[in-house]
Amino acid sequence: MKSILFISLVVLFASCQSKEEIMHQQYVVEGRSIYEKNCANCHQSDGSGLRDLYPALAKTDLWKRVSSQQLVCIIKQGQKGEIKVNGKSYSGYMPANTKLEAIDMAELVTFMKDSWGDKKIYTFDEARAALKNCP
Amino acid sequence: MQLKPIALSILLAISLFIASCQEKKSLPFLGPKDTHLVGGKVDTIYHQIPPFRFLNQDSTWVSEKDMAGKIYIADFFFTSCPTICPKMKTQLLRIYERYSANDQIRILSHSIDPAFDTPSVLKEYADRLQVKAPRWNMLTGDKAAIYKLGEKSYMVTAQEDKNEAGGFVHSGAFILVDKNRHVRGIYDGTQETEVNHLIEDIEILLQEK
Repeated sequence: MKSILFISLVVLFASCQSKEEIMHQQYVVEGRSIYEKNCANCHQSDGSGLRDLYPALAKTDLWKRVSSQQLVCIIKQGQKGEIKVNGKSYSGYMPANTKLEAIDMAELVTFMKDSWGDKKIYTFDEARAALKNCP
Repeated sequence: MQLKPIALSILLAISLFIASCQEKKSLPFLGPKDTHLVGGKVDTIYHQIPPFRFLNQDSTWVSEKDMAGKIYIADFFFTSCPTICPKMKTQLLRIYERYSANDQIRILSHSIDPAFDTPSVLKEYADRLQVKAPRWNMLTGDKAAIYKLGEKSYMVTAQEDKNEAGGFVHSGAFILVDKNRHVRGIYDGTQETEVNHLIEDIEILLQEK
């Protein structure tokens, strides 16, 4: 009897605590598949990039330098011209991902932050606001 | 129970047969074949890549003569391609690295956007990929000639298409060509497992006399 009580307490506690955590995990899972479809061809599944052609995302200064809002706009609009990642220069271009909507962005950025950044969730509301405010 | 001599010899024959099948693994000749009579004997003429001439990333002409006695892998791409090309290049890099010390192996990557992919653009691309001619030639030249070679000879699609991301539609195929310019295999260059298969087939070709 005691043990049943204990188990149900644990279950209750776990489910309460993880309400937000479950959503975070869902975003990470969805975000991973969006990443695989739209980003991994160039940046690779593990974010290591391709030599000097396509910059890495993993273990880079991007996560300190570029805000999530900026990141959303770069993904949405693409990028041209020279950029620097970890001090190395890249001059290719990144195509615009015009089909990605706010929910996709929230999931994608959450996955990337979870893998390489500060591991915080990037919410749908934040993503929607970011998309509205892109230059 | 004891096996009778006949049963035993049948068993032996079967296992020999299986063993010989496995040993004689060889690659098919792909593409249209032609036959003609030579001195009363039927001779098969296999599909062969016709002569070609393109500029590579070092602004050097590369022709079929440079491929004499070489096994090569051909593909079609363009440097500004946002879709499957990076994946194909990741896979080709595996082949390039694996055979970096083998002078019998070449890679020919043909640009299907030659107007933009000039030798200097290809040079920058190859440099950033850290690969060099003649082991890996990035080729550009007459657009019609490249498209025709792709479709008629390598049997893959390569076309302009305004609706496609990047403006071109092309297959992600790798074409394996032997030392006599016969096509011996076509593989999906975007799939790691398919490229493993290609590497196995290169090994078979290397054994061919």
